[in-house]
Amino acid sequence: MTLVEFFRAAPVAPDILAPSLWLIIALPLLGAFICGVFGKMMGRANVQLVACAAVAGSFVLSLLAFWATSHHNPETGRLAAIFPNPFGIERDFVRYALAYDYGTWFSVGDFRVNFGLMVDHLSGILLLIITGVGFLIHLYSTSYMEHDAAYWRFFAYLNLFVAAMLTLVLADNLILLFVGWEGVGMASYLLIGFWYDDPAKAWAGRKAFVTNRIGDFAFLIGTFLLVLLVSAFTQQSNAADYNNAGTTAQHYTAALEKKGPVTFKGLEKMAEGLVDGSADKVDLSTPIEAGPLEGYTFGGVMTAAMLLFLLGAAGKSAQLPLYVWLPDAMAGPTPVSALIHAATMVTAGVYLFSRMSALLVLSPTAMATIAIIGALTSLLAALIAFAQDDIKKVLAYSTVSQLGIMFMGVGMGIFWAAVFHLMTHAFFKACLFLGAGSVMHGNGDETDIKKLGGLRKEMPWTWATFLVATLAITGIIPLSGFFSKDAILHGVHHNHLQGLEWVSSLVYYLGLLIAASTAFYMTRVYLLTFEGPRSKEARVAHAHESAWQMTLPLVVLAVLSVVAARYAFGIDFFNMTAQPVLDNFLSPVFSATKRITDASALVALDTSRPQLVPDYLKAWAVALAGGGAAAFLYLRYFPSRVGLPDPAFIRAVRPLALNKFYVDELYELIVIRPVKFMSFLLFRVVDALVIDTVAVRGTAWVTARVGSALRYVQSGDAQAYAAVMAIALLGGMAYALIQVMQ
Amino acid sequence: MVPITYYLLLAAALFCMGMFGVLVRRNALVVFMSVELMLNAANLTFVAFARMRGDDLGHVSAFFVIAVAAAEAAIGLAIVIAVFRSRGSILLEDLRTMKH
Repeated sequence: MTLVEFFRAAPVAPDILAPSLWLIIALPLLGAFICGVFGKMMGRANVQLVACAAVAGSFVLSLLAFWATSHHNPETGRLAAIFPNPFGIERDFVRYALAYDYGTWFSVGDFRVNFGLMVDHLSGILLLIITGVGFLIHLYSTSYMEHDAAYWRFFAYLNLFVAAMLTLVLADNLILLFVGWEGVGMASYLLIGFWYDDPAKAWAGRKAFVTNRIGDFAFLIGTFLLVLLVSAFTQQSNAADYNNAGTTAQHYTAALEKKGPVTFKGLEKMAEGLVDGSADKVDLSTPIEAGPLEGYTFGGVMTAAMLLFLLGAAGKSAQLPLYVWLPDAMAGPTPVSALIHAATMVTAGVYLFSRMSALLVLSPTAMATIAIIGALTSLLAALIAFAQDDIKKVLAYSTVSQLGIMFMGVGMGIFWAAVFHLMTHAFFKACLFLGAGSVMHGNGDETDIKKLGGLRKEMPWTWATFLVATLAITGIIPLSGFFSKDAILHGVHHNHLQGLEWVSSLVYYLGLLIAASTAFYMTRVYLLTFEGPRSKEARVAHAHESAWQMTLPLVVLAVLSVVAARYAFGIDFFNMTAQPVLDNFLSPVFSATKRITDASALVALDTSRPQLVPDYLKAWAVALAGGGAAAFLYLRYFPSRVGLPDPAFIRAVRPLALNKFYVDELYELIVIRPVKFMSFLLFRVVDALVIDTVAVRGTAWVTARVGSALRYVQSGDAQAYAAVMAIALLGGMAYALIQVMQ
Repeated sequence: MVPITYYLLLAAALFCMGMFGVLVRRNALVVFMSVELMLNAANLTFVAFARMRGDDLGHVSAFFVIAVAAAEAAIGLAIVIAVFRSRGSILLEDLRTMKH
């Protein structure tokens, strides 16, 4: 049996495994329940066992599911992991994927959402990252959190987070994805504010929560726009529209009734129907005839929805203008930073756009916005990272920056490279964060890199893995970070958006600048922490290496961040013209996207491989230049100037970068202050004056006054009563007289 | 012959005086006398209309009113005397038992 045959025969066939996909989510959820409810009485070792075992079980199931996506029938040798696309015609199978629909989750009128799970190559990769890296981080936490009294709560939250993230990834429709989306937001809030008795840390959790809510709101509106768009499409389309999409109107409406309008497969079919065909009635410039969106064109609504999703993704993935929560989130425990803020949750935006790539490529405007937002975020974060001295803060800004690069990739349509960078970033950034945690653990929780130094000999395992991860993120050949980043930059350079060709070059050159900056600040962090003499201000005289539970994950992640580079090479190792493995591997996921871009010609996707001389060499030179500059400055220049003041230009620029370009202050000024002022106004005028004074106390006052006025009426005085009667009589008489006179 | 309008105007004036007395006087006896005045105003209209119509119905009614008024005056005076005995006053302002 050859290796290929081995990987083509999964231990569990897809049709057997598919109904059990829910277990992948349920296991960590069960773990969270057990740890959260019984954790206190179970004891430390049992909690750790339950939490780790839950994620490990999930990992095994994910592995099986991932394997099953490539399963071939042993007798026929044909692919077995296929299921008929409910929105397509019989021939239109979804290949390399398994799915299971657990029935209706809820339905309101025409709107229906099913609890459907799907694993294809895209979600499969994410499943493995979440459970695999997640397990390593659980293992790491058993040692890192050993002195914490509330360890059981911590592990419950961690398991909860994993369950939510798996829901996000496994969902086959937008609403179920949103459940996971919200779930990771909540778990991240709980974990960032884990040490809630420190107000600063609790505040950081709250900031993350509020910032994320802004994005989630946009996400929901985008979803509703898509729902309206689907119903408008089914009302207005003719048969030719469906020819274009490879289905029929009957099929599409039947599937809508069965699966609901927000299923990814259905949205994909609609996107295919919207691109120009010969005789079709509806394309992107057709105005919508009826309903709430009347008068807007399909393309316009699609752009609006995508931009709203961008805002949603910006909240979760820490992009401009909502990135401010991520650096503050470093207040949480370090494993949290590694799991949530490097490997999984913050990449949800990239995953979302990859999942919805078929819709995204219909709107060059939205794509250009995403790419530019990504590039600007990335550059800004990289510049801020230059001057940060807190090791975790540098890594946090670096994460924001790397996510920006992924957004550049997504925005310019090089989806596989964005996913590739997501994957390699998960490995090396988790390794860096855990390495930073290990450094803190061994140095009495010191986080200031200026007060570290010389750890190379004292913490050899941490040093070696941190070095590998640093080289990977800086983009040194032949580590994975180089290939993933370069794949994005290459794609950005060669893909073009119709009417927005300038974006490509702008983003590309910004990308080179970002690559150089990344190399610079990462080298700086590495050098100040591990090289040179030990700082005189160090908290402990000698650092100690961490326990095996902490170093083992570091080693595994470091190895992964090297071997992930394999996915950049063509299957045929010597034939450099072949597609990169991951591109080939993900092509079934992005096949609809490819068809749409070919038909619409709105985006020109380029599948060429980066060439050795112009592309790889340039990227490498850029990374080396950045790293070299940092090495020169921090190994030669600054040590030789000890005691001397910094040069003037550094003194001018450094406070600006150190204070994060005053973005937080700017938000304070233009958003928070006005909102607070409005709230104050509302409190004073509406609440205190209108509601409290007028409505509540005013009602009582009026009743009391009316009562005391009416008291005079009931005097018991017969004469007064008689007077009232007489006056009433008089009135009646006068009225009768007037009537008679008329 | 004097037209009926004059009788009616006189009766209305008497009635208003009586009513004014009932409404503003404080002494219960004067109030009673005012009530008599109103009754007599009514009697006057009865008699005037009887004269106009040329039959006895109005006269009969007037007699009935006088009889009832006499009876009522007797009972009223008895009540006033009883009140005076129990409270030492016949000023209406002091008699506010209807309040309860």
